[in-house]
Amino acid sequence: MIDAGRMMILLGAMLAGVGLWGVLPGATVRSRLLGAVLAAAGLGLVAAQLPWVGGWVDQSLFTLLAFVAVGSAAAAISLRNPVYAAIWFGMSLVATAGLLLFQGAQFLAVATIIVYAGAILVTFLFVLMLAEPSGRAPYDRQAWEGLVSALSGAFLVGILSLTVARALADPAEVVSPVPVPVTDQDRQAGILAEDHVRRIGQVLFDLPGPAGPNRAPKPGYLIAVEAAGVLLLAALVGAAAIAGRARTPQPDPAPKPHPTHSAGGPRHG
Amino acid sequence: MADREVALLANYLIVGAMLFALGAIGFLSRRNLILMFLCAEMMLQGVSLSLVAFGRFHNDWGGQVLVLLVITVAACEAAIALALIMVLFQRRGTLDVIAWQELREADQPPYVEDQPFEEPEPAAPEWPQLPLAGLRPEIPSEQTDYRPHV
Amino acid sequence: MFEIESLLVLIPALPLAATLVTAALGKPVLRHRSHVPLVAALSAAVVASLALLVAVHREAGHAGEQDGAVGFERIVPLWTWADVLNAQPEGAKGGTGRFHVEVVLRADPLTAVMLVVVTAVSLLVAVYSIGYMHDDPGYWRFFTYIGLFVFSMIMLVSVSNFALLYVFWEAVGLCSYLLIGFWFQKPEAAAAGKKAFLVNRVGDFGFALGIFLIWTTYGTLNFHDTAASGGGLAFGVLGRSALADPTWLVGGGTATAICLLLMLGACGKSAQLPLHVWLPDAMEGPTPVSALIHAATMVTAGVYMVARCAPLFAKSPQAQEVVAVIGGATALMAALIAVTQTDLKRILAYSTISQLGTMFLAMGAGTLLGVTAGMFHLVTHAFFKGLLFLAAGSVMHAMAGVIDVRKFGGLRRVLPVTHATFLVGALGLAGVVPLAGFWSKDAVLAAVWQRGSAGYLVLYVLALLTALLTAFYTFRAFFLTFYGPKRLPEETGGHTHESPRVMTVPMIVLAGATIVAGMALEWGRWLEHFLAKTPSIAYLESASHAPEVATGSKWTIAALGTLAAAAGIGLAWYLYLAAPGVLRRLTKRMQDLGLYGVSLGKFFVDEFYAWLIVRPLEALARLSAWLDSAAIDGLVNLVGWLPKGAGATLRWLQGGLIPLYAALMVLGLLVLLGALLI
Repeated sequence: MIDAGRMMILLGAMLAGVGLWGVLPGATVRSRLLGAVLAAAGLGLVAAQLPWVGGWVDQSLFTLLAFVAVGSAAAAISLRNPVYAAIWFGMSLVATAGLLLFQGAQFLAVATIIVYAGAILVTFLFVLMLAEPSGRAPYDRQAWEGLVSALSGAFLVGILSLTVARALADPAEVVSPVPVPVTDQDRQAGILAEDHVRRIGQVLFDLPGPAGPNRAPKPGYLIAVEAAGVLLLAALVGAAAIAGRARTPQPDPAPKPHPTHSAGGPRHG
Repeated sequence: MADREVALLANYLIVGAMLFALGAIGFLSRRNLILMFLCAEMMLQGVSLSLVAFGRFHNDWGGQVLVLLVITVAACEAAIALALIMVLFQRRGTLDVIAWQELREADQPPYVEDQPFEEPEPAAPEWPQLPLAGLRPEIPSEQTDYRPHV
Repeated sequence: MFEIESLLVLIPALPLAATLVTAALGKPVLRHRSHVPLVAALSAAVVASLALLVAVHREAGHAGEQDGAVGFERIVPLWTWADVLNAQPEGAKGGTGRFHVEVVLRADPLTAVMLVVVTAVSLLVAVYSIGYMHDDPGYWRFFTYIGLFVFSMIMLVSVSNFALLYVFWEAVGLCSYLLIGFWFQKPEAAAAGKKAFLVNRVGDFGFALGIFLIWTTYGTLNFHDTAASGGGLAFGVLGRSALADPTWLVGGGTATAICLLLMLGACGKSAQLPLHVWLPDAMEGPTPVSALIHAATMVTAGVYMVARCAPLFAKSPQAQEVVAVIGGATALMAALIAVTQTDLKRILAYSTISQLGTMFLAMGAGTLLGVTAGMFHLVTHAFFKGLLFLAAGSVMHAMAGVIDVRKFGGLRRVLPVTHATFLVGALGLAGVVPLAGFWSKDAVLAAVWQRGSAGYLVLYVLALLTALLTAFYTFRAFFLTFYGPKRLPEETGGHTHESPRVMTVPMIVLAGATIVAGMALEWGRWLEHFLAKTPSIAYLESASHAPEVATGSKWTIAALGTLAAAAGIGLAWYLYLAAPGVLRRLTKRMQDLGLYGVSLGKFFVDEFYAWLIVRPLEALARLSAWLDSAAIDGLVNLVGWLPKGAGATLRWLQGGLIPLYAALMVLGLLVLLGALLI
């Protein structure tokens, strides 16, 4: 049952696991460069088993975006300085937005940039700056059970890739896709419509409707949107409540102060 | 055409799986509270890719709508989580997740790690010491009686 | 009122009622009057037994042989105890196809004689106990147990099937245990009671196996014939018509097995080799108990049982020989031991063992003469041995509990009545004409002689030697106690007195019986002819054709017996009274030869049993205790430790480390994915 493609996937997953273990910050001296190379090789091996998404232009664009996304994510988890890690995560978000755009999800791509990279990530950075300006904490320098985590991640990738490979190999497993609309009319209605943003707006603020004699059921996600709004309000109130209380210093019942910056020496700029 | 769609789906699923796995690795191994949360967000990104891919494959708007909701929830979650992390940081003065072990059993000893790895502080650069201006410098004796080159 | 049936029911009922009354009212109401119900009941029972004897004699004379059956018996069924259908064992000769056990009493000459002996001696001992146990705090308990014993013994000799015989066999054993350990606070008494019970148990085991074998061979446990459904007669094992049928009794190996197993039971109850060890220890009980149970009644149950089963023994000459050998050997061994003992009651205990051996020797002869001689000796022995024990108790009472013959002497002027009655009993035991012992011992010796074969002649010589030794040690005890310089042990405080009348009157009555009963029973060989009307014994008349003992031989046997007795008495007089110096030199000589030590050490049978049985059992008990505490407790502790261990192993998971929790979640997720997708 194990053919060459699957063997490659397994091998690639194992390599990636070992490489990622090397990449993680750790107490013992290890070669992070070697780890990075191994990880890239492994993940590349897995990705090479996949069919091309189109002509070589499409494929190279996709590969670039995917490489940047995955690479920045790997950097985000392995850098010792948390601020750097967060910034690399931002890079990963940009690449992910590109991937979404490649799919034809324009609104989502922009939303990712605005909300994720623009709001969430920035908040992260604010809090990081507030908490540890020097960025030299020992708990950032050492991963906890790095090997186990790396191997679990590798196993995860391997499993999912094998599943996809099996699905690809067996045509009966793959549900035949709904054909991409060719005519303008189809385009207007389908997910790849040219006025995608207007379409998604309509879909979002519409109530769901039944199927007609000639058409599919009408999608509508108004309830979900309203619920999301309420959730946002609750989060706002909650965050204000929690953080507000945090501003007034409480007497610590069991103070265990941990030095956040090293002693002695002039501060770095 | 159908093959292209299938290939697109397959590729996006793999990329999403990789992002998810990287996020899982980071969540399990990093000890900084904020970085752990960051990795959780990375996992959500991977999921979003998969959702969008499936939505396109089945020509269903639900995939993208769900991703939108995921982003919304991620925002709420970020707000609350960061507020909580602030509070926790003020309690212990550290962002280390291992500092919080109150959930353990009553008779379990606390986990104390061995000597944490401390990267040696790079030595403070040696700035040159300039003597006070205006004073005659002290010349050491051995430099006073030198032979001129013959 | 004087029919056999009502008498048969009355005789056990009276002591039973007395026992229940004493048990219920003894402690609260009767207290020092606790003897009244029992003495009254026993008096009535004696009268009833005598009336029964007369009635049976009359009816047996009338019955004759009119219906072709053997002997005379009258059966009185009371109620059914067990009734199981379709219980016929395979290969059984008879039976009704049911396991049917009734509570049924029988009246025949053997039973009648035993009843008279049991009730009479019990009454005399009960009266004696009024004085002996006078200030004992367990006074009411004593009479309760005595009443229970008498009831059990009466039922033992009255019942008419093996199952109930076994029940009351055990019941008398129980009463013996209770009475031996009467003063249970004394550890020796409690131990002696336990020993008696356990040794009896071994014998009872053999007895039970014998009963099982009888059931599988004969298909019935009844002694008597019963009416079968559909007319005709369902034979009992020893029934009148059954014994008349020459094909009824089974011979060969089965008969030998049955008889040997029954003999094992008799050895246990009647203290024969190798189960005799309990009787000397049983002297820890009060003296009336020794007199009643261990001289006159309980220990004779074995002899009674062998007499009752005489037809079964008649079918197996090998078993008869075994019985005779056991009896003869026991008699001689016990006599040898009694020669050196210093405890008066122990001397009498070994004497009892020896005399029981003589009875079994007679039973082992197997002829009509033999069995009746054994029963004759049983009756006379009950009288003179009971008398001797009561006299010993009187001495003990006067000597404030001291019974070691080395500690007192010359008491004949201090205790005149005791001295006289003891002398009568000793003469009876030695077998001096015309006292009872002479006639019964003479009958025994004649029966053994009558068999004629070489083995039996050897046994005859041994029996003569035993008679000599018997006379010797009896009079040794007599002379040591009542003659010589007067010495009193310090426990008496220097003054003592004869026993009260309530104690001496029974002794005098028994002395009278000793003098008279022998001649009375032997007059016209009345006892022999009377007993020969019992179905079991009547069978022997036709079954075993031993030649009649010639008159000349009879005189020879009598002369030899008397000579042996006289020689024994003379030797005792010479050594203990006339020439103590000779005694000292002889004792020294015997000690140097080691014979003295062997005799004093009771042939070391107890020590042998301790080595063979008790020590391995103790080792086994220690091993079991160790196994229990180490293995079984260890196992239980392990079961208790397992949850704790499992908990301790898994507790580290709850360390409070959040990354650990996250890792476990991911691990679970991976396991799930792996299971689903691989």
